[in-house]
Amino acid sequence: MIDVGDGAAIPHKNDAGLFTAWRIAFFGSIVLCLFLAFGRPDQYMAIFLFVPDGILITFKVTVGAILLAIVFGLIAGLGRISSNRLINGTASLYVEIIRGVPLLVQLFYIYYALGRFVKIPDMLSAIIAMAFCYGAYMAEIFRAGIQSIPKGQMEAALSLGMSRGQAMRQVILPQAFKVVLPPIGNEFIALLKDSSLVSILAVADLLRRGREYASETFNYFETYTVIALIYLIMTLFFSKLIGIMEERLNEGR
Amino acid sequence: MNVIRTLTSLVVVFAALAVTAFAAPKSIKVATDATWPPMEMVDANKHIVGYDIDFLNAVAKEAGVTVEFKNTAWDGIFAGLDSGQYDAIISSVTITPERSAKYDFTDAYTSIGQILVVPKTDKTSRTIADLKGKKVGSQIGTTGAMEVKKVPGVESKTYDEIGLAFEDMAAGRISGVVCDEPVAAHFALQKKEYKSKFKIVGKPFTKEGYGIVVKKGNKELVALLNKGIKAVKAKKLDVKIHTKWVK
Repeated sequence: MIDVGDGAAIPHKNDAGLFTAWRIAFFGSIVLCLFLAFGRPDQYMAIFLFVPDGILITFKVTVGAILLAIVFGLIAGLGRISSNRLINGTASLYVEIIRGVPLLVQLFYIYYALGRFVKIPDMLSAIIAMAFCYGAYMAEIFRAGIQSIPKGQMEAALSLGMSRGQAMRQVILPQAFKVVLPPIGNEFIALLKDSSLVSILAVADLLRRGREYASETFNYFETYTVIALIYLIMTLFFSKLIGIMEERLNEGR
Repeated sequence: MNVIRTLTSLVVVFAALAVTAFAAPKSIKVATDATWPPMEMVDANKHIVGYDIDFLNAVAKEAGVTVEFKNTAWDGIFAGLDSGQYDAIISSVTITPERSAKYDFTDAYTSIGQILVVPKTDKTSRTIADLKGKKVGSQIGTTGAMEVKKVPGVESKTYDEIGLAFEDMAAGRISGVVCDEPVAAHFALQKKEYKSKFKIVGKPFTKEGYGIVVKKGNKELVALLNKGIKAVKAKKLDVKIHTKWVK
């Protein structure tokens, strides 16, 4: 089977021993956070108490956007392999346009430019914008995943009397899902980090909370240290989780 | 060899410049967040203009220095002063006890207050407290943002630029914007896109003074700027600048 993408790279199987890079980074960050919060409470405790609702918003935006992006990606990915020229053309146009416009510009565009015509609440607007962008990358992942399944599979399913749609749903996609899971995991981590961009839309995510705190207390060093550590803990946690899911899937092979 | 010689001479020149710059500040670098019309903004020719700009130029003339303005995002404008990227900030900075603890201010050069702007369709709200359960916008790290946060039950939304807050109110996502009174007047009374949509309600509800900010302990610069401010006020130049920008 063709391996698409490099999977979640950090928790690598070849890492041996107690002190893997992941463990050092993950537990090191947690220990550092605890040390700062309780060892230097005067400077740091207030920051840790100020940002939790921002973590929740960051999490909501990320999860909402990745789910929606998978939907967009699957539709556009199927469109990209469609033999119907209109569907194929539309899906390809979507991928080309979105991949050619910076995410930050897309966020401004969907939020402020389209905000003139349609009224979308701020969080939803941020989620849609992120999903719209990541959907284009997801489309390519799905396209590659589906195309990685040998043609014989489809032919066999068709010769068994399945319709094309049935074959896609019951034979191709379940196999393709295994192939696309690692790169989708990577996209999830990337999206988690890029979700910090929504702070420019005044969505009160982790970064926005940090900036609010820093701009009123002027404790820039302390605040951004904490913000970076929290992002790091989140991404390391999820990359590990994705790595474990991946291993489980491989065991079933 | 030549390279080394050039480098050495460059170092000497820079050292000499640094020494002279330290001895007599001929030119000072000043940061401003030019998104706060009419106090500081970027005009159609991409020049930084506004009340603060004219005012500081007048002060500098009286004090015998020149000013080089640097357009800097508000969020982080104090951090740039910490790291020495510029010598001072003139950006409608209200003198507050919290800020005074970390930075030095000149004497207040003008006084203003925070004021609430709401959509014209809102017939009842007079104060921030009337907007309980609703979202109220302001610029991040401003005294306006601090006033909004003081009111329980109101959801504070902070924007990088005040213009984005007004735009969000035009899109119907927030129910009010709090900012300095001259800025509110600029957006709600003068900007043609917003004139028909927004209104200012009530009177300014805080009393604040703007000061020029310098790094803690930079006594010479504070003294120099204060001398300039005094001279400008004595000549009533500030009144002229005020009528030019604040209508």
